Amino acid sequence: MKLILRYLKHYKGLLVLNIIAIFGFALVELGIPTIVSEMIDNGVMNQDKTYLIRMGLLIAVIAVIGVTGTILLGFCCAKISTSVTRDIRDDVFVKVSSFSPHEMNQFGVSSLITRTNNDAFQIMMFLNVILRTALLTPVMVIISFTLTIRASLSLSLIIASTVPVIVIGVIIVAKISGPISDRQQKSLDAINRIFRENLTGIRVIRAFNNDAYESQRFDRENSHFMKQSKNLFKLMSATEPVFFLLMNIAALIIYYTASVMIDHQTLLVGQLVAFMEYLFHAMFSVMLFCMVFMMYPRANISAKRILAVLETNPVIHNPAASDAPEAPVQASQNLTDVSGNKQRLQKKLCGASSGMTTIQQQNCHRLVFDHVDFVYPDGDEAVLKDISFEARSGQTTAFIGSTGSGKSSLIRLIPRFYDIASGKITIDGQDIAAMDLHELRDKIGFVPQRANLFSGTIADNIRFGKPDATMEEIKRAARIAQAYDFIMEKPHQLNERIVEGATNVSGGQKQRLSIARALVRRPEIYIYDDSFSALDFKTDAALRQALKAEVSDAIVLIVAQRVSTIMDADQIIVLNEGRIAGIGTHRQLLQSCPIYHEIAASQLSEEELQYA
Amino acid sequence: MRKQKTTTPAADRSSKMTFRACLKELMAFVRPYRLKLGFALFMVIIANMTYAINPMMEGRITTQLASDAEDILSHVTGAHVQFDVIFRIIGILIALYLIKTVSQLLTAIFLTDAIQQTMHDIRNALQKKIQRLPVKYFDDHAFGDLLSTVTNDVDTLSNALQQTLTRVFAAVLTFIFVISMMLYVNVWMTLVALIIIPLTVIVTRFFVRHSQKLFDTQQKTVGELNGTITELYGGFNEILLFNKQEDSIAQFRDVNERMAKSAFRAQFISSLISPFVSLITYLTIGAVAVLGCFFVISRTITLGNLQAFIRYIWQINDPLSQVSQLSSQVQAAFSAMNRIFTLLAADEEDQGGQTAVDTGHIQGSVTFDHVQFGYDDELLMNDVSFQVKPGQMVAIVGPTGAGKTTLMNLLLRFYDVKGGSIKIDGVDIRDMRREDLRRLFSLVLQDTWLFAGSIFDNIRYGHLPARKDEVVDAAKMANIHHYIRTLSHGYDSLINEEANNISQGEKQLLTIARAIIKDPRILVLDEATSSVDTRLERMLQEAMQKVMAGRTSFVIAHRLSTIRNADLILVVQNGDIIEQGTHDELLAQKGTYEKLYHSQFANQDFD
Repeated sequence: MKLILRYLKHYKGLLVLNIIAIFGFALVELGIPTIVSEMIDNGVMNQDKTYLIRMGLLIAVIAVIGVTGTILLGFCCAKISTSVTRDIRDDVFVKVSSFSPHEMNQFGVSSLITRTNNDAFQIMMFLNVILRTALLTPVMVIISFTLTIRASLSLSLIIASTVPVIVIGVIIVAKISGPISDRQQKSLDAINRIFRENLTGIRVIRAFNNDAYESQRFDRENSHFMKQSKNLFKLMSATEPVFFLLMNIAALIIYYTASVMIDHQTLLVGQLVAFMEYLFHAMFSVMLFCMVFMMYPRANISAKRILAVLETNPVIHNPAASDAPEAPVQASQNLTDVSGNKQRLQKKLCGASSGMTTIQQQNCHRLVFDHVDFVYPDGDEAVLKDISFEARSGQTTAFIGSTGSGKSSLIRLIPRFYDIASGKITIDGQDIAAMDLHELRDKIGFVPQRANLFSGTIADNIRFGKPDATMEEIKRAARIAQAYDFIMEKPHQLNERIVEGATNVSGGQKQRLSIARALVRRPEIYIYDDSFSALDFKTDAALRQALKAEVSDAIVLIVAQRVSTIMDADQIIVLNEGRIAGIGTHRQLLQSCPIYHEIAASQLSEEELQYA
Repeated sequence: MRKQKTTTPAADRSSKMTFRACLKELMAFVRPYRLKLGFALFMVIIANMTYAINPMMEGRITTQLASDAEDILSHVTGAHVQFDVIFRIIGILIALYLIKTVSQLLTAIFLTDAIQQTMHDIRNALQKKIQRLPVKYFDDHAFGDLLSTVTNDVDTLSNALQQTLTRVFAAVLTFIFVISMMLYVNVWMTLVALIIIPLTVIVTRFFVRHSQKLFDTQQKTVGELNGTITELYGGFNEILLFNKQEDSIAQFRDVNERMAKSAFRAQFISSLISPFVSLITYLTIGAVAVLGCFFVISRTITLGNLQAFIRYIWQINDPLSQVSQLSSQVQAAFSAMNRIFTLLAADEEDQGGQTAVDTGHIQGSVTFDHVQFGYDDELLMNDVSFQVKPGQMVAIVGPTGAGKTTLMNLLLRFYDVKGGSIKIDGVDIRDMRREDLRRLFSLVLQDTWLFAGSIFDNIRYGHLPARKDEVVDAAKMANIHHYIRTLSHGYDSLINEEANNISQGEKQLLTIARAIIKDPRILVLDEATSSVDTRLERMLQEAMQKVMAGRTSFVIAHRLSTIRNADLILVVQNGDIIEQGTHDELLAQKGTYEKLYHSQFANQDFD
């Protein structure tokens, strides 16, 4: 409710119009019975035909007014509900765009999709009901009660007494149906899950001849779902008849009371007729109001899910945007005195080895990790402990280690996907926590493990790395990434469309396009997060050779599983349980680092080890 | 918005069923519950009859009161309200109300039972169907579409039967009963009142025709919005890394704005139907009221009947203003039914031949005899022959996407050969019962399929009757026992839905344990590639060696060590087997294998 009110504020004008329109609707619904009763009491009793015809025309006039009101109501409803939904979606999307990977993982992509799409839709449906029915009900109830009181006070009391009964009834039904509906929904999720498993595991299930077992598993959940559905539907469809019975009984009591009153000449028959009509309409709008109650729990869940997104603040802040520095920044400031330790690292002349001709003088960059500790925002154990190293332009630094050794976490610290707990990461001496996020990320060409492409042409996808890239630059990047050949084999070449989900290119092709996308930026730092895994050995080798020539003026960081991918790196950093277990070249490490030797031995043949 | 209709071209091509055929199929599912359903519908008739009679009876009270009141007003001696008459009518009304309520409740109970049982059966039938469809079917049909059939389509059908069916039925009954009641009251007034029907039809048609297009556009925009959200959230990391937040917000705002516009138009236009139908009703009521009053004055009808008549007009207005809504629900239900029954009618794979095979005594020799194969009309595999003796290891090598899994697909008869034959111990696999054939195999795939359930259940999956100690033995052999012991719930630890609470390597070890427990004659292994870390990699290699011992095995190989130990190497390219032989033979041939083998060392060219 809070959420809806917050957004409704922007549409006050329409809202007022909406309420005015409702009065128009109430005018006909209640005006016509009033006129009909006048016709009976005055026209019929006095046998005044011109009066009757005049009243007939009056009905036509207010019918037109009323319908105009209803149309206006439809307009306001549609306008407000679609606008509010749009605003909510916009805000959710903008919020999600400000998230860091931590918040993204917290919610999960599929959950955020549902929140932006379906939950907002639920709000729209609910808003529609509110704007139409919920606002209508009080208007109708108040007017018709006023009219009934005018018609007869004592009769109105009978009606008034039924209202609490109905309201309590509705609350009870909502209370009972809520949990059942929850259970039904969970059961439906389980059905979907099993069915999805059946689809994805089709070969395994058949190979194990387990189709009967699967059917049994499915049937168990299906039967459970059926039970919940039966309960829910029975409850829902029993509610209406019972409420109508209540209404009918109230009507009978009124008839009886009215008879007594007519007997005492305190009530006119026309008044009774009108009264019954009012009752009918008032009760009907109360019934409609019940729908609001029924829909409320579901809309409320959706609203809560949306609010949860809107009220989440990302843990990563852009220093340029937020004045208050947060904990990690302060921590690193306290530690500035240890920065001298990096002197220990062996210094190399950078840029000197490069044979490229058109490189500017200052194109010599240094990325330094200085006693970095890292803990995931929700975790309590450090994933990385005391990591110090330096990477320079023209150098390739590779990371290797078993799953959970922290190598992927390490490289994600560089574009500030996460902030470090202590220590300092600097690029050319500048703390990355103090840099503008936009600028920092512009320096980096990151090729993730699982390449994500966007719908659009192949050229669009490469241009994603550099919006103003020329066709020449795009082709060049594609060539280096070993993507040019397969692109040229496509019917539309660079203009070939990548469909949503990029299902029309293979995993290896995706990786190569994602590499091209990073290459076209010509960044200062290249980060390859296990980016060669979907390539066969041949392409892997060709690609690395082409890259070597291309990126000689940049810092290159590679995370890999295959020793053969990183054997020729300038420095290999072996990670073990979050600590550096060794830094050196392939040859040095084979001798000095037992963990590295173990890894190499498991992947390379005897002669390959010897050869090294 | 709940469902996004994405019918693949393939689904469109498959024969559309007619309404009649759909209904016939549905009837087959309803048959077991026909008594319940029939009873429920009978109760709907009763409820509607009483609903139609009620205004008449209520009107009688008014009439009685009116005439009594007139008498009282005109000071007829002894005139008073005749309570005995009133009580009699009230008595009848109470009976009518109770009958109506009870029959409505009975409808609710029996209808729900019948329909939910039917839906349960349809879901089960769909699940069973999936198990019997040929694997090829899933190449042409997206999982999402199939999943949507089981959930959304069945749900749509369920709602349609649960609500729309009774409403349509009740609306028709209301029409019949109410119109006959109206005719009973007064023919002329009825004729005036019935003008509503053609006018409503015209109005509804007009708006439906216009709103239909708008709804189509809206549906398309919904799809676009969904697609945009999915893509932008899915590519979240890239958007951050490439500083594209603003672009993506602009892109989203654009789609969102269009969505809001098209939703507004569709909603507004369709919201116009109800006011216009109401206008017709109001005007009719006005006309009937005037006419009716004249008739009351001329004593052609009673006052109570006039009151009842006006109530009748409201009663038929109700279903009329819902016509468009109901018709769109009915349409949705039919297209859902169409998808459900088209899926259920799809061709199943045959259950195999009749040759009895004693699976316990199969040695495990495998022969490919001039095998031809292609996934579509084009042949990929032109003429492949080789022989594997019991207990031998075959390595399948080739670049990514060359079709290494094709052999596995053929061996397990996920697909049938297009020419030649595959024999196990000399028996053509097409002559074996599928069940027997598959009993011979265990699979370890790279795509480690596990289901949400305990680790114990997942290992036991290979051999359902297995005892606890057998499961533990298999886990030990697969080098996963120690890992399982470190988990807080041991073998009862649950694997979650995404199976992301254990690592890829551990998952692979679990699938090996699952393969071991089956104790198969023939193994098909898809060797792990680089996504597994080194320590696990070695555990995997070890476990695989152990399982392969004494069994005929086919390994889709990525490791040279595996390849060199193989008794036979098959080199696959573009779906065909282009070279075969042992490591040394193939090197000597100086063909593709030789190049592939040496590319392993390409990195040394850098030094």
